[in-house]
Amino acid sequence: MNFPLWRTQVQRIVALEWAKTLFSRRGLWVYALALLPALLLGIKSYAEQKRYAELAAIVEKAPKAPEVTNRLRTGIASDEVANLLRERNVPFQRFQRGKREFILYSDGVGRFRLIFREGKMAEKTNLRVASLGMDIQAYAGIFQFFYLRLAIFFGCVGIFMNLFRGEMMDQSLHFYLLSPMRREVLLMGKYLAGLLAAILIFGVSFLLQYWLLLSPHPNQQVSEYLSNGGWGHVAQYLGVVAMAVVGYGSVFLAAGLFFRNPLIPAAVMLMWEGANWFLPEALQKLSVIYYLQSICPVVAPPNADIPEVLQLLAKAAAPTPGPLAVAGILALAAAILVLASRAARRLEINYSSE
Amino acid sequence: MTDRIVFEDVSRFYGEVLGVNKINLSIPPGITSLVGPNASGKTTLMNLMTGLVRPSKGKILVRGVRPDEPEALFKLLGYATQFDSFPRGLTGFQYVHSSLLLNGMAEQEAERKAWAAIERVNLVEAAKRKVDAYSKGMRQRIRLAQAIAHEPVVMVLDEPLNGLDPLVRSETIALFRESAARGAHVLVSSHVLHEVDMISDQVILLANGYVVAEGAIRGVREEISDKPLEIVVRCDQPARMAAALFAHDHMVEARLHADGLGLMLKTKSPSTFHKQLNRLALDGIEIESVAPADEDVNALYEYLIGEEGGTK
Repeated sequence: MNFPLWRTQVQRIVALEWAKTLFSRRGLWVYALALLPALLLGIKSYAEQKRYAELAAIVEKAPKAPEVTNRLRTGIASDEVANLLRERNVPFQRFQRGKREFILYSDGVGRFRLIFREGKMAEKTNLRVASLGMDIQAYAGIFQFFYLRLAIFFGCVGIFMNLFRGEMMDQSLHFYLLSPMRREVLLMGKYLAGLLAAILIFGVSFLLQYWLLLSPHPNQQVSEYLSNGGWGHVAQYLGVVAMAVVGYGSVFLAAGLFFRNPLIPAAVMLMWEGANWFLPEALQKLSVIYYLQSICPVVAPPNADIPEVLQLLAKAAAPTPGPLAVAGILALAAAILVLASRAARRLEINYSSE
Repeated sequence: MTDRIVFEDVSRFYGEVLGVNKINLSIPPGITSLVGPNASGKTTLMNLMTGLVRPSKGKILVRGVRPDEPEALFKLLGYATQFDSFPRGLTGFQYVHSSLLLNGMAEQEAERKAWAAIERVNLVEAAKRKVDAYSKGMRQRIRLAQAIAHEPVVMVLDEPLNGLDPLVRSETIALFRESAARGAHVLVSSHVLHEVDMISDQVILLANGYVVAEGAIRGVREEISDKPLEIVVRCDQPARMAAALFAHDHMVEARLHADGLGLMLKTKSPSTFHKQLNRLALDGIEIESVAPADEDVNALYEYLIGEEGGTK
């Protein structure tokens, strides 16, 4: 047992591999996948900032606008509403669609859509700007249904499967196999390099997403949120990202050793993880996503994309306590890495068959 | 036997395809050439010895170490493969240096040894350039540098002289000889037969996955009894010598040289021939030189394998 040598060799492999993994041309799509939610949140953030600015302008220009909102009752005439808004300097839009007449205005607190039938108000809808609380709740859904299940999942396929399989295809794996190094050490070095690169990519993307999520909201609200558990959420989400990479990374590193075509194991795993909600409780616990959801800081709203009939079948298993969930993922990753190291020991160089 | 490379009944199949079959070898230190046409099993033998592929059957020991013990094996062995790919983005120096660092060497020692190896293959000027931008010959040299950088006692070199310019080629051969003289194993595969002839202490001839012959070139030649030995004699009375020798039935053929100062002979019994030659010298024929004409790899290759594949 030559632990100091193994440690040195692992460090050397990480030094050689992690930058290669991070800046690989083959991995550009991983960045695209990681940054997609940030891009969408960026667009949303821009739109919301614009709305906040509009509201602020109305508060300044028409400070008495909320009085109009308070006086609106079903049955009030459209002309009367228009006069009230004009009197208080509130900008509004008035138009006709078929037999219905619409008035849209903002009172500095919310945005309202009034619908009139035969000149009388029939409906009042508050198209309010999403609150911070709503955004945090919505983000939990984005994080769990897109970021974890798709972005990090496929990102790990791209990063970890290439650690061995990619080098077989590049015909350069023999460089490592001809070194005085145990295959297990090579496996561990490559795994750690993959972890570093993936955590960096997906961790930074998460931070960017969360910043974009919070940025349109008033500073005071954001500060209050952060000092009342918000920083904890950030840390916990980062932890979930790291655990997701640990779990999926080990699975796909092993898959890269066992399979020539990465699409097959990735598809099987995706189906298993995707069908998780519909599996019996005991089987749900045999997936990575179950443990990851258990340690997410905010419970995600039900997936609106799942048809109602199927939602009846979905029954989430009770979440596992945080430390147990982390231990579960680590144990799963360790077991898979042990299997992978056995495969690595039997690994042969036969580039012509790749 | 721990100073030998031993193959005991080793076979390797790739599915239904034969790589090598029933190989039994005990290779002593020195320069050993693996000779054979394409797909004869040379690279498979090297890959088996270095653990890049595992035998389907049999046992291999490299100076007492099993190939599936990379930690011990690659401390004493360096392998320059024919694979012409490198880890992406590395310079020549980084390639050799990284390999030494993976050996567990300290930074400074690794740097010193990397430069020494790069110097040996005459690549110092290009060492800081990316390997991707190297010519074929330069890539060959940097692979060689990486294989020898940690000063292994077993060097396994797949076509190591391919693409080298004459100066580096002769320096490389000198390096092989020097290492062999120190007691190292230098295993070289080549299909350039005159080169093999020049550098090898012993040869292993392979064909279709089988070892056809092995040993010192002369010894192997002597074992081929069905082919008469060709000898070139330079002397002052070649016609008289031919007549005298043909009085005995071991002689098969004699051809006088055009300049009248020598002849080429073919004999079935080299020992009888040499005895008679001594007698003829005593009888007054002045003999300038006697040299075997087919005691080389080229002839062995032709006799044992045929003319396919070899490059003269």
